[in-house]
Amino acid sequence: MSAARTQPAGLSKWVVTLPPTIFLLVFFLVPALIVALAGFRETGEFGGLAPWPGLSLDAYRFLLGDVIYLEIFARSFLVAALTTLLCIVFAYPLAWLIARSPKQRRDVLVLLVILPFASNFLVRIYAWIMLLGPANLLYTPFAVIVGMVYAHLPFMVLPLYINLEKHDPALLEAAQDLGANAWTRFWRVTFPLSLPGIFSGSALVFIPVLGMFAVPELLGGTGDILIGNLIKEQFLENRDWPLGSALSIMLTACVLLLAGLAAWAAKRGLHGTEAVS
Amino acid sequence: MALVLTALLLLASLPLRAADTLYLYNWNNYISEDTVRRFEAHCRCRLKQDYYSDNEEMLAKLEAGAVGYDILVPTGNAVESLVRRKALREIDKARLPHFGNVKREFLDIWFDPGNRYSVPYATSVSLLGYNADKMRELGLPTDTWALIFEPKHLKKIKGRVTVLNSQRELMAAAMKYLGYSVQEHEPARWEEAKQLILRAKPYWAAFSNSTYIKDLAIGTVWVAHGYSNDMFRAQQDAAAAKRPFQIGFATPKEGAVLAVDNFVLHQSGRRPDLAHQFIDFMLAGENAADVSNLIGAGNTNAAATPHILPEIAANPGIFPPPDELQRLEMLRDFDPKLRRTLSRMWTEIKVR
Repeated sequence: MSAARTQPAGLSKWVVTLPPTIFLLVFFLVPALIVALAGFRETGEFGGLAPWPGLSLDAYRFLLGDVIYLEIFARSFLVAALTTLLCIVFAYPLAWLIARSPKQRRDVLVLLVILPFASNFLVRIYAWIMLLGPANLLYTPFAVIVGMVYAHLPFMVLPLYINLEKHDPALLEAAQDLGANAWTRFWRVTFPLSLPGIFSGSALVFIPVLGMFAVPELLGGTGDILIGNLIKEQFLENRDWPLGSALSIMLTACVLLLAGLAAWAAKRGLHGTEAVS
Repeated sequence: MALVLTALLLLASLPLRAADTLYLYNWNNYISEDTVRRFEAHCRCRLKQDYYSDNEEMLAKLEAGAVGYDILVPTGNAVESLVRRKALREIDKARLPHFGNVKREFLDIWFDPGNRYSVPYATSVSLLGYNADKMRELGLPTDTWALIFEPKHLKKIKGRVTVLNSQRELMAAAMKYLGYSVQEHEPARWEEAKQLILRAKPYWAAFSNSTYIKDLAIGTVWVAHGYSNDMFRAQQDAAAAKRPFQIGFATPKEGAVLAVDNFVLHQSGRRPDLAHQFIDFMLAGENAADVSNLIGAGNTNAAATPHILPEIAANPGIFPPPDELQRLEMLRDFDPKLRRTLSRMWTEIKVR
């Protein structure tokens, strides 16, 4: 904010934000619009799209007129919610431990959390095939959740760690002086203060899990179809681009709605925190 | 996504474009390193390959505007759709002195009458691979689709069966078992196939397009619906790892899906001269034989036969005998309406 006061405000703001804005416009907004438009086109005889103009609402009518697609949406949200919850449960102690470690050790621990990214995601999922296969747990819903949690755990640990690291230890000391036991100190001080970390971590986990198709395809059994698999199938095997596009847009709409809700909840969470602290 | 991929592909391929380079867009592991090296020595050029793992992936990438590939290796139905979209260049047979080596039965097929655009390269059959020792022990038949569709067999191998994660392939197998054509247009018959699949599904472990190779080879899966060349690989892997069992594979007697993969020239290719040279090179018997010897694909080349290892040439799962060939059918694209109906059935199969 101080920079805005000392420099010609408009210009520097533009210089800084222009490249990412252009990037997002070209690589996010334009493709998203293409997909949105494709959802209203007709299917081509040999896949893809029918010749222009050929506009119709068929794809949406087909999807909305059938409860089975709703079922897959619901299932995907359930898997994403469960994955997020488990990620919070597993990541919290870890992030807390890292944040409370001596400063020189923290970087090593954070590096260890990031280290799995050094190898390809699919290779790591294949490793789970090797681990779960002999235990007869492969091709089950359990395996899907394991794979999802494993793949997304670092995305929960890092924002949580960044948040927890900033907490002022004096707050906990003050709480202790006022007679709060460890349990109360955690739930009344640490946890409310860490809510922003939980929210940003949850967004980083929940949204990618919703669209994930590789994990259920490789680890899942005969019933583990998620919305990501359905979309992939429409674009590749079935070559029904309008249907795939309509599904993608419906998923995007759901995610945006949720992100809006989460932002609203986070705001409330922050106000709540202020009240506590 | 496709657009971004295309842009990246263009960026990546432009600076590398050497004067004498042939660009091949091919299946994974479909031409051996050795064959590539011999061709490069023969043409004094470079052969660069990009890979796809199914036809749809390749078609989607081309549809999104990918350019610069001289040769593609699509399966029959994909050849048809490429021809209809005018994406292919005609083949000049005068430049293919070895064209006569192609077996008669693989010429002039519906997807390209008169072979104006395509030259057959290799074949595979979608069939059943199995753990031969387990099957003997349990007394199960291995020459029929009943093995993966009939509860009376399935209850002995519950959780040890995988089927292809492909609407077309799996529903085609069910149609064959019911005695229908894989090109059936009557939705009621497809509905029957769906019911058959739903009845058998509780006994299956997974829908799998690739992991079954490993699962069969290490013995965690006993029966897999999959491609003959993958079964060949599972067989080799199990033998190489000295497993205490053998992997076998056979075409069910009710018939199955046959895939014929072909060389075609893409319109955007810049070196049709090298492309013709390549196709003719691959048509020579000793080069054509590699695909059978190394990856266990069926061969469409008559001159290759003497160069193919006898145990591979004699395997009916790889080289269907003439009477069996009659019972094999190729997949052909459906119209958009039927595609959507079948996709709806497939989704139901997955969810229920």
